[in-house]
Amino acid sequence: MAIDEAVDTIKNYIDHDTDGISYPVLIDADHVVTELYAISNVPTVILIDEDDRIVQPNWNAYATNTFTDFHGIDSGQQLDAIKRWVVDGDTMMDASQASGEVYDMTDEEERGRLHFRIANHLRTAGDEAGAERNYDLACELAPHDWTIRRGSMPLRGGDPFGAEFFELVTEYNEAGRPYHGVNHSGQA
Amino acid sequence: MDASDIALLDTGPVVASDALTDLIGWTLKPQGLCKDDECVLVPDRSVVETDDGVDLRGIAALLDRPVAVDDATGLVAIGTSRGPRRDAQQNQQAPDFRLPDLDGTWHALSDHRSKKKLLVAFSSW
Repeated sequence: MAIDEAVDTIKNYIDHDTDGISYPVLIDADHVVTELYAISNVPTVILIDEDDRIVQPNWNAYATNTFTDFHGIDSGQQLDAIKRWVVDGDTMMDASQASGEVYDMTDEEERGRLHFRIANHLRTAGDEAGAERNYDLACELAPHDWTIRRGSMPLRGGDPFGAEFFELVTEYNEAGRPYHGVNHSGQA
Repeated sequence: MDASDIALLDTGPVVASDALTDLIGWTLKPQGLCKDDECVLVPDRSVVETDDGVDLRGIAALLDRPVAVDDATGLVAIGTSRGPRRDAQQNQQAPDFRLPDLDGTWHALSDHRSKKKLLVAFSSW
């Protein structure tokens, strides 16, 4: 599920190389599912069982080691854990551990997401000043929400891999790396 | 109730009472705020009914959904319901949703009931 506003952006990003991909690749342009599941950064992986129970809540897990030098996470262990669940039904935590692992959004974070949505609408309508006003407010309300802080960078003509990204990382680290979900190990 | 419902309105926060249904699908009736067979009690009408019309901020609060207003443009954004979001966090109940794929075909989580699902949120940024 791509947390992106335009289909073309995602098609370019994945080189539209969907040959052999049998699973749906969705686009959450309005960040609706992102809000519903309190997803605040990517990648976020959620494991949902046959009865629609979340057996592994929001998990910052990686499929490859492309950025391991940066975040220090080895994707192999995470992929193995997912495989064990798929094949053997082994979960990384039980229900009592899973409950409360994803702490809820604050009022400010909720409103930040809504102002981000308003900003996108104004940007599409050609009201750049209005868009900037609302992106600024969204970032102020939810400074540690990457779907807002970093998600807005390309939309505002910035570089999500540039200087402002590294500033966000510093700020985020200083804030204690808050994330609505479980840490990289996958354990509670 | 489709928990994925959101609204983005350009009406300003106060709207005519008879416009409410068209705007968000809910109607203020004597028995409460209603949509299809579901009604939410309105213990204090003054939270939603003003001299100038119905206040969307009060409506959103009744539906337990967040709301934000851009005063300069009158844009009102109403977010997803807190109930299903918190059910996910506290009771591990995965809220249903519908999203389009890259070709525009809609998919719902409930399309895959009785199967294990891996939801991977990624992005271009």
